[in-house]
Amino acid sequence: MTISMIVIGLILMVASYFFWAAPWCANAVECSNPRLEWSPAIFVLGVIVAFSSAIYYEVAQDNEE
Amino acid sequence: MATHEANKPLPMGVGSISPRWFAFMAIAMLGIVLGLIGYVVEQQQGMVATGMRDLGTMQGATWGVYISLVVYFVGVSFAGITIAALIRLYNIDYLKGVARMAEVMTVVALLLGAAAIVVDLGQPLRGIVNLFRYARPQSPFFGTFALVISGYLYASLVYLYVTSRPDAAILAAQPSRLRGIFRFWAAGYVDTPEQRERDRRTTFWLALAVLPLLVVAHSSLGFVFGLQVGRPGWFGTLQAPAFVVLAGVSGIGHLLVMAAILRKSLKAEKRIENRAFAWLGRFMMILLIVYLYFIVVEILTTIYQPSVVEQILSEALLTGSYAWLFWGSTAALVIPLLALGWMAVTRNWRISWLVVAGIVVNVGALGKRLLIVVPSQTHGQLLPYGTGTYFPTWVEIAVIIGLFSLGAALVALFMKVFPIIELDEAPDMDAPQIEEVTES
Repeated sequence: MTISMIVIGLILMVASYFFWAAPWCANAVECSNPRLEWSPAIFVLGVIVAFSSAIYYEVAQDNEE
Repeated sequence: MATHEANKPLPMGVGSISPRWFAFMAIAMLGIVLGLIGYVVEQQQGMVATGMRDLGTMQGATWGVYISLVVYFVGVSFAGITIAALIRLYNIDYLKGVARMAEVMTVVALLLGAAAIVVDLGQPLRGIVNLFRYARPQSPFFGTFALVISGYLYASLVYLYVTSRPDAAILAAQPSRLRGIFRFWAAGYVDTPEQRERDRRTTFWLALAVLPLLVVAHSSLGFVFGLQVGRPGWFGTLQAPAFVVLAGVSGIGHLLVMAAILRKSLKAEKRIENRAFAWLGRFMMILLIVYLYFIVVEILTTIYQPSVVEQILSEALLTGSYAWLFWGSTAALVIPLLALGWMAVTRNWRISWLVVAGIVVNVGALGKRLLIVVPSQTHGQLLPYGTGTYFPTWVEIAVIIGLFSLGAALVALFMKVFPIIELDEAPDMDAPQIEEVTES
C-alpha cells in the first residue's frame, strides 16, 4: 500500500504537470488553457498522496502490531 | 521508553499556562486584531487603501511589502526544514534540541507566507480557485504557489507529525488533561524497537524527499523574479541561488533567536547544548559570506556597462531614493558577519551575540526582500514612463503586524499543546567541546 501511494502520487504529479496542464509550447493563445481543468490541484493532490504514504507506512504497521 | 509518575507536570511547560505566557498571548492577540482591522479596511476600500499602485501610468508598484513578506516567510521556512532534515539525515545529536522548533517554524512560516499572498489579492477567493484550476506549469508562479505553499506545506506537516509521534507516546503514558490528544497523536506508537527503527527509516526517507522538493520550490520563487526579461534588476541567473542562500540566513537567524528564548524560558540548557548555537552561528556565517559575494557580483555586473534603465535603477539603489535601505540592509548583514567572524576566530561563541546577530540579519533580509521586489517596478521601466514611488500605508503596516503576531501566537500555542523541544534523552554532555561557548 505504501509503495502504491507513492506510485499513485508520482503518476498524478507527472500526468498533471506534463499531460493535463497547459502544454509546453510558444503559442500564447493555444497554449494558455489547461487541457484538463484543475490539473494544478491534481498535481498538489499527487504531492499529498505521495507524502501521506509516510503516515500510512508508520501508523498502519504500528497498529497492526 | 521513559516512565512518568502520575500527576507530574508535563515536560517543557506543556499544558501549564503561566502569567507570562498569558501576557504574551494577549499582546499577540492585540496584534492579530490590528491586522484584521487593516485587512477589513483593505477589503472594504479595495487595494487603493494600500500604497500599491499600477506600474507606469500610476508610477507605483503592484507588489509591495506583502510580496516581500511572502519571499521572506518562505525563506524562513526553508532554513527550518533544511536544518531539521540535516539533523535527521546526519543524526547530529547535539542539534536535536532545535529540530522540532525548526519544523514548527517551517510550518508556521509557510502558513504566514500563504496568508501574505492572500492579503495581497484584491479578490482572494477568485485568485486561489483560479490558481488551482488554470495555473500553467511553465510559470514559476505554479512552482511557488502550488508547490511551495501547498505541496511543501503538506510535506512539512507530515514530517512534523512523523517525527513527533515518539514524544506523543511518552506524553500519552502520563495522566493529564491532554492525554487523549497525545494518544490520538501517537496513533499506536509505543516505542518498541521495531517502531523506533521504522520511525528512523521513515524520517530518513522523508528528509531525503523533502530536501530536493524545497530546493526546487525556493529556486522557483527566485525564478518568479529572475525570469522576467523585461524587468531590469530582476532578470538574472543569480536570483534563484541568492534566494536560497538569503533564505538560509534569515531562517537560521530566526532559529537562533527562538532557540535562545525557549532554552531560557523552558530551562532546557541540557537539551539545547551550547554546541548547537556554535553550529548554527557557523552555518549562518558561511551563508552570509556567500550571499554578500552574490551582492558584490551583482552590483559589479550591473554598474560595469549598464543599459540606461539599469543605470537609473542602480543609481536609485546605491545613491538615490533607495540608498538608505540598500546600505542599511547591507550593513545589517555585514556587521553580524563581522561579529560571527570574530567569534569564529576566537572560538568563543556568545549566545547573546548570536541572538543579536539573528535579529539583525533578519532586519537586513527583510530590507533585501523589499529591495528585490520594489525598486525594479518603480525604477525599472522599459517603456517611457517616469520613475515611481512606493510607501506602505498604515493598512499594510497593520496587516504585517497582524501576520507576525499570528506567527508568534501559533508557536506559543503549539508549545502549550506539545513539547517544542524533543523529549529524547539528553545527549552525552561529557563529549569534548573544541570551542568555548559562553551564555553572556
